[in-house]
Amino acid sequence: MVKNSIVIFLLFLGLICNAQSSALFDQATAAYNDGAYEKAIDFYKTIMDSGEHSAALYYNLGNSYYKLNDIPNSIYFYEKALLLAPNDSEILNNLGYAQQMTLDAIETLPETGLSRLYKKTTATLSFDQWAYLGVGFMFLFVILYILFYYFQYSSRKRWAFIASLVSLTIAVITLLFAYIQYSDYKANRPAIIFADEIGIQAEPNTSSTEVFVLHAGTKVQVLEELNDWQKIRLADGKTGWVSSIHLKLLKDF
Amino acid sequence: MDFKKGIVFLSVFLFAFILKAQDAAAVTFEMKLSKSKLGLNERLRVDFTMNKDGDNFNPPDFAGFRVLMGPSQAISSSWINGVRSYSKSYSYTLAPTAKGKFTINQATIVIGGKTYKSLPENIEVTAAVDKPSDQMTADDVADENLHLVAEVSKTDPYMNEAITVVYKLYVSPSISVSNYQPLDNPKYNNFWSQDIKVTSLNAQNGTFKGKPYRFVILKRVVLYPQKSGKLEIEPLSLDVTVDVPTSKRDFFGGRVYAQTNKTVSAGNRTIDVKPLPLKNQPVNFNGAVGDFDFSVTTSKTSLNATESLQAVVEVTGKGNLKLFKLPELDLPSSLEVYEPEFTEGVRTTLSGMQGKVSNSYTVVPAFRGKYPLPSIPFSFFNPKTETYTTLNSEEIVINVLEGPSSATTNSAVTGLNKQNVIAVNSQFNFIKLNADLSPIGSTYFFTSNRFYLFLLAPLLFIPIAILFRKKRDAIASDVIGNKVKKANRLARRYLSKAKKELGNKDSFYVALEKALHNYLKAKLKIETSEFSKDKISELLLQKNVDEASVTGFVALLKNCEAARYSPFSDVQMQQDYEKASEVISLIDKQV
Repeated sequence: MVKNSIVIFLLFLGLICNAQSSALFDQATAAYNDGAYEKAIDFYKTIMDSGEHSAALYYNLGNSYYKLNDIPNSIYFYEKALLLAPNDSEILNNLGYAQQMTLDAIETLPETGLSRLYKKTTATLSFDQWAYLGVGFMFLFVILYILFYYFQYSSRKRWAFIASLVSLTIAVITLLFAYIQYSDYKANRPAIIFADEIGIQAEPNTSSTEVFVLHAGTKVQVLEELNDWQKIRLADGKTGWVSSIHLKLLKDF
Repeated sequence: MDFKKGIVFLSVFLFAFILKAQDAAAVTFEMKLSKSKLGLNERLRVDFTMNKDGDNFNPPDFAGFRVLMGPSQAISSSWINGVRSYSKSYSYTLAPTAKGKFTINQATIVIGGKTYKSLPENIEVTAAVDKPSDQMTADDVADENLHLVAEVSKTDPYMNEAITVVYKLYVSPSISVSNYQPLDNPKYNNFWSQDIKVTSLNAQNGTFKGKPYRFVILKRVVLYPQKSGKLEIEPLSLDVTVDVPTSKRDFFGGRVYAQTNKTVSAGNRTIDVKPLPLKNQPVNFNGAVGDFDFSVTTSKTSLNATESLQAVVEVTGKGNLKLFKLPELDLPSSLEVYEPEFTEGVRTTLSGMQGKVSNSYTVVPAFRGKYPLPSIPFSFFNPKTETYTTLNSEEIVINVLEGPSSATTNSAVTGLNKQNVIAVNSQFNFIKLNADLSPIGSTYFFTSNRFYLFLLAPLLFIPIAILFRKKRDAIASDVIGNKVKKANRLARRYLSKAKKELGNKDSFYVALEKALHNYLKAKLKIETSEFSKDKISELLLQKNVDEASVTGFVALLKNCEAARYSPFSDVQMQQDYEKASEVISLIDKQV
């Protein structure tokens, strides 16, 4: 009895929390529309502190910071929103606006046609979507194979067999894509530079030579870590070490 | 000669009598020596001068000297703008009698009832000199009376702190300079130098080593040391033509002047340049020393794309303005920026350079949006306060109101086709209104246990299906087993009610009878409950059912009827049930 009431209470609490969050979200929207961007940011941060997030939340935070001319923060939250909704055109559009404010111009390395094609193909769906697709084709394969086994006429048997083999192949390919996407996702550790101007060192210590200089808002890939230093790579292939206080990892959820 | 002098003195003396004595503010009485150091074969002239007439002049004893001439009196008096100036002097010419140091003691005089005393002075008499002053040539006199001096404003400046060197030519009133030309212009190695032109030579009065001289400023240079440590300034040499009075006099008693050329040079000067302190030196310090103001301004802050604006980085103030690089403007990489145009308006004066230097950047935004120009720092060293100062410009945000937008410069897009994906007329989007929140910390389907279960479990269905098919085939091929199975099934279908009532005599036989009739109804499609037993056996025989089965069936029906009126044991009931199922299956095969 007591247990039950606790469960009910928790359920209610959850409902209340949810209601609170959406109320806060609406308040934030109103504040943003009035131009009170700092207030809107406070509301959004409160929602985040309560353990909830969404692409829309991060996108709105990015917008608010953009309005306050806070470059690194706005890019940081746009990129975070893109992690949750990779192909959202609105987010990409506003991220473009925010990236105009950055100081660093980094040429991305040109990719070969083959790797671009394969990247493009694997990136059409998320690895979870690929996984669902693979499971679906596996089911189809099993059904078709059983049908092949049960059919009496040889013509039907042939069609069922061919169809089952095709679906098996598709299932294997989609699972491969899912795996590639997944390993890409795991290897991908983007971060945003927050320091206004920071020299990137050749080695993970302050006494080494400075390789190049980055400014706030630049997106980098984190490759390795040593103590409080992180090895980063730019889009143009340059690598160096930077103290971890100067950047913020995007994937902290 | 002395006679002439006497006449001059006398006439002046008489003239002085005509003038009324005027009260001067203060009475002075002093002794002047022509030199403080002389050779044994030279002569010394001692003058006692007072600015008011006095009595009872009492000269000192001149120990160590012999009086060659004197005392001779001279009086001069003049009126200038109503102020009377008066001077009277007693002169002696002395010859030393021995080498060594001597003191000329005090002389006394009574002026206006008070006794005044002159100050005693020391004189050093050295061995006989080659050229006694009264036999000096024009060159020697020029040497003694012509001096070139380099005056340095500061001998221990910081690096890049302005110092000035002023070259002055001191000329004694007794000689005159008729011409000069520089022989060697010094090179200021390790200095940044700027010459300040001297347009007109103005003779001014000054003193040099305590004696009255006239001087002229020949050259002024502002120097900025570019190196720390001891730096030497090369001397300046001049060739000067001078007119020197000789001891000869012309017919009218005036002196005959001799002309001579003289090379004078200012001595080497060493400047000890202090390095700029390294303590607290800002990182962005680029050598500016002085006192400056710093600003970054833009000609406009809001404009349309493809219009241009000017961003000006400007430093104004005093210091080495020409000697440091202006801080560079940090601009967003998406802005088109041209090489800055450098302008300077710097005046160099004796106190150093002052004015302003500026870099003007032409900026052309190509896309709509906001472009912040971040604040940039400028540091300089102030040698007066000996501290570093860092000034930060204000951050400026440029608003580009209209124009194409550079949407989607996502990292997935390569740099080459960056320009191609410009979506014209896409606005900065408003925030999203649907929260669509989910708890932070997502779990993924891929690689989860559920994923593997869903992926692999269907595969198990294949062997199951195969086994099932095999079993079914085996069952189909087993004929006898099938018949037994069918009978059992029939019995189950029709006798299930009777089986339930097994042991309960009345209801068991009612159910049994009903079951037998139901069976016939199902098999023959005829309602038989109202038929007689003969009719039933006839019907069954018509259907080619054998005799034994028919009699068995009829016997069962009879048993059912009989059971209503006579006691039946449980064993008999069981027997009847089994018989019924046997009969039903037998008939079923034949119908």
